[in-house]
Amino acid sequence: MIRQAGPVAYAIFALLAVVAAAFAPLDDYMLHILVQTASYAIAVFGLTVVLGLCGQINLAQAAFFGFGAYAVGLGTADLHLDFWVALALGAAFALVMGAFLGVATLRLGGHYLAMVTISFQQIVTLIMVNWIPVTHGPDGVGSIQRPAHFASAHAFLGVCVVAVALVGYLVWRLPHTPLGRAMRALRDNELAASVVGVNVYRTKVAAFALSALLGGIGGGLFAGGFAYVSPDQFSFAESIVFMTMVLLGGVASPIGAVIGTALLIVLPESLRFLKSVPGLYLAIYGLAIILIIRYMPDGIWGYVQQRARRWFAPPPFGAPPPGLAFAPSHNGALALEVRQLAKYFGGLRAVDGVSFAVRRGGVHALIGPNGSGKTTTLNVLSGVYIATGGRIALSGRDVARLPPHQRAAAGLGRTFQNIRLFRSMSALENVVIGAERSGCNAGADHPALVERARAALAFVGLEARARERVTGFSYGHQRLIEIARALAGNPALLLLDEPAAGLNSSEKLALRDLLKRIAAKGLTILIIDHDMTLVADVAAHITVLNFGRRIADGVAADVLRQPDVIAAYLGSEPDAAARP
Amino acid sequence: MPLLALEGLTVRYGEIEAVHDLSLAVEAGEVVTLLGANGAGKSTTLRAVSGLLAPAAGDVLFDGRSIARLGPEAIVRLGIAHVPEGRRVFPGLSVRENIMLGASNRGRIPKTALVRESDEMFDLFPDIRPFADALGWTLSGGQQQMVAVARGLMARPRLLLLDEPSLGLAPVIVQNVFAIIGEIRRRGTTVLLVEQNAKMALSVADRGYVLETGRLALAGRPAELWSNDAVRAAYLGGSSARTA
Amino acid sequence: MDLVLQLFFTGLGIGAVYALVALGFVLIFRATNVVNFAQGEFSMVAAYLMVVFAVDLDWPYGWAFLATLAGMALLGVVFNLGVYYPLRHRTFLPVIISTIGASIFLANTVLALYGPQPQVLPGWFETPGVQLGPVYLDSQYLLIIGVTLVLVAFNHWFFEHTLLGKKLQATSQDKEMAALLGIPVATMIMLTFVYSALLGGIAGVLVAPILFVSIQMGSTIALKAFAATIIGGFGDVTGAIIGGLALGVIETFGAAYLSVPYKDGFAFLVLVAFLIFRPQGIFGERIAEKA
Repeated sequence: MIRQAGPVAYAIFALLAVVAAAFAPLDDYMLHILVQTASYAIAVFGLTVVLGLCGQINLAQAAFFGFGAYAVGLGTADLHLDFWVALALGAAFALVMGAFLGVATLRLGGHYLAMVTISFQQIVTLIMVNWIPVTHGPDGVGSIQRPAHFASAHAFLGVCVVAVALVGYLVWRLPHTPLGRAMRALRDNELAASVVGVNVYRTKVAAFALSALLGGIGGGLFAGGFAYVSPDQFSFAESIVFMTMVLLGGVASPIGAVIGTALLIVLPESLRFLKSVPGLYLAIYGLAIILIIRYMPDGIWGYVQQRARRWFAPPPFGAPPPGLAFAPSHNGALALEVRQLAKYFGGLRAVDGVSFAVRRGGVHALIGPNGSGKTTTLNVLSGVYIATGGRIALSGRDVARLPPHQRAAAGLGRTFQNIRLFRSMSALENVVIGAERSGCNAGADHPALVERARAALAFVGLEARARERVTGFSYGHQRLIEIARALAGNPALLLLDEPAAGLNSSEKLALRDLLKRIAAKGLTILIIDHDMTLVADVAAHITVLNFGRRIADGVAADVLRQPDVIAAYLGSEPDAAARP
Repeated sequence: MPLLALEGLTVRYGEIEAVHDLSLAVEAGEVVTLLGANGAGKSTTLRAVSGLLAPAAGDVLFDGRSIARLGPEAIVRLGIAHVPEGRRVFPGLSVRENIMLGASNRGRIPKTALVRESDEMFDLFPDIRPFADALGWTLSGGQQQMVAVARGLMARPRLLLLDEPSLGLAPVIVQNVFAIIGEIRRRGTTVLLVEQNAKMALSVADRGYVLETGRLALAGRPAELWSNDAVRAAYLGGSSARTA
Repeated sequence: MDLVLQLFFTGLGIGAVYALVALGFVLIFRATNVVNFAQGEFSMVAAYLMVVFAVDLDWPYGWAFLATLAGMALLGVVFNLGVYYPLRHRTFLPVIISTIGASIFLANTVLALYGPQPQVLPGWFETPGVQLGPVYLDSQYLLIIGVTLVLVAFNHWFFEHTLLGKKLQATSQDKEMAALLGIPVATMIMLTFVYSALLGGIAGVLVAPILFVSIQMGSTIALKAFAATIIGGFGDVTGAIIGGLALGVIETFGAAYLSVPYKDGFAFLVLVAFLIFRPQGIFGERIAEKA
């Protein structure tokens, strides 16, 4: 209900804010404060996207803010461009730089990204200060023009408020779009996100570019508001200020961004004495960051949301969902063919020339004692590791060199032994992400995907609680949600990694029934597990590994009786001949 | 009084109850083995004894004294050494250095004394003597296992917890490792051995316990356990009718 | 040629400072898997402490230095307890942000207490320098290189030949296993922070007479030390030292032959270039092998 009422209420509220901005009797000082708050808020929205939603650190936001500001400054003052043109150019430049930075470094880990963004910020500041012919150096740029019809302080403030309202709305809705869901998934669990079909790298670059774009827009408005800019307003210190604003207010929501920005602009103004001692207010910022991260990592708004969640029960759906339909592709009789698969870690041959085939339809089990290579095999199949050698044919198509998200697109679904759900999201959202994987359900719009997700949840018996956060479910139920997420993607082959691990006996019975129902729908399952009772019950066909090699392969009942399989599990006789 | 006693031990691993209401005892001088399929809770039990995990319920008694609330550094000082699953030899330190660090629970010991003691360890594990100065990561699995056990013994433990020493090792090496376990027992150290390789474990143990899904399923002497089809079932599933 | 030698000597001198700070980074990273963004501020705080003791209070240089070291050790303890230790179980992002907050806090607290004017710290020696053939060896640079050599030798001896050094290495490589052996992990981490604070502090005191003692000196040095560790291969001790020296030389030559105002930019460009083209650094292979 909030979903439908939201946009309307938001539009009304925004309209009121614009009217208030345009007509309220505010003195020049207040107008300046509000323009600053508005332009900063847009830059901080950028951090909400890249840090709050996507979990990536960006310490160069002041540089992007500066790109926008200097574009408008130099554009209107030196080049006599129209304000809007200059703003567009600045925003575009920031976007390109953000994308470039993202492409260059997002393949590396988090602290590398932090270092690169700091370095980038410093380089930009150096250029702003030293490239005097273009940037005017430390003197800064003055006589910056405002847009033609909004030149008065009130009118410009109105423009800024409109901008905040529009951008804020987009950032508010972003988490519920496919891109936003992809960002949140990768923030929560990058590995699971890629296996479920999210192109992690592209999503990170998009988040980064978007953050830079918003920084640029904010900077452009800032320049128009203050008519003068200089390099020290876009230094690393300012990036820290943005960071503190987003952390204080609440990193995951645009409301938090506005709260943080407003507080950290208004507070120092009213506590003017803090600014009289140079460094004091930034010292407090630094201390605030340490304390917020430690005691209130979700910020003010995050804290409020947590409290509110208790009273805010998610409404159930109306009509029951349709039955879950599976239409896996029918390329050939073999869902999976593995030939001479090898995975070496240095000298360790974890998987050493393993070959087996999984026929379409039914359940195939891959078993072996601890250290036999079956988990490594599963990881190589799903793309977590790249095979050292061998061929992996999924429905006839070689996927051995594809990254995980492309294997998902090719029809591979997978669950994890240690359950990798997206913990900040509801059961429904988790499963919707599974339904969104590219290549499947093509052309389906969002409501259709939601219906499919509900159907998958109903199939595992959890549809009634679809809107609850996954952290509220028992371990056994979380396992079922993970299976539903994989099913929603309509996989040609479903890989289950120790699905019975950690389940009690009644949960195992429920799992066994679920697996039988999935198999009855014609889906192909490859299961790894140690519970032989379960395996013998559901699997028609078993492949046994030991020491990275295949030692048995055949009909389930036979394989479990073979002496070398029994010996592999229970241990072998000490060989009398080998004793010294 | 048993050297080690678990009373109604319940251990949670994340959100799962990995061990439930487990009670067992190890007398001084014994080799006791904990068997069971993967996921049965064997390693979790050892981690609760050595202090890496805190029990959710129940107690762990060493020499009659409760150690359930102590951390690993305190427990190893009391005389319980844990050789964890996967060997975990320090990859960037040499074999000798790894072994010498095993005495970290015994207070200040001059380096010369530690060097001498590590030489004595090489007497017990002659196969790794040539590698004394080689870095940990260069060793094979079997060699690393020997280093890990030697390191554990340097703590002069009264109770040695061995977690899956045969994991990933070729059968010939496994025999070697188990021969050493026999020698350790002969020298007077009590051993609690967690193993998946039931046959080898029962060949060296005085008594055994079998775990299934975190609960005690069987207990007894090796011969009883081995002939009891329930052991087979615990690993391979199904009833005794399944066996050939 | 004379100029080249002179530049080389100067470059080594400044590079030695980067090497010391880089060493502090790498040690903390290996022990805690965290990049300490406040490492440069350790150098800055130490330089200011020297100004307080040696200039304001007019203590003899030696006593001032000892007092500064004591202060840095204390800072290391407080930093560990306040900034790293409470967050040690969280993911790296909160810890990074926390150390960034600490760096801002330290820099601006000093600014608030001392004011924005750069301070001057006299060098250790009365004689400004020695002429050795065509090369003029500034005495402070000589001191820097000498002290760095001593510290690097000490560092090597400490980590390779003492039991405590081995325990620290063990803690870096596998904390849980170290605890199982009875190594007091929390104490090891504390020692690492204190040692790194001392290293950073010594670097700051050494370089202070050459640069002005200013609030910004910390972040500038830190980013160059980052670049040094990336060049050398992140996590590698020898790499950090060689990377620092190399960067000092590159930067000095760059300033002389290319451009002075953008001198600071070289480090950043080198950093970004390495991160894009060779993220494992020069000695990266060695880390990959040391699983």
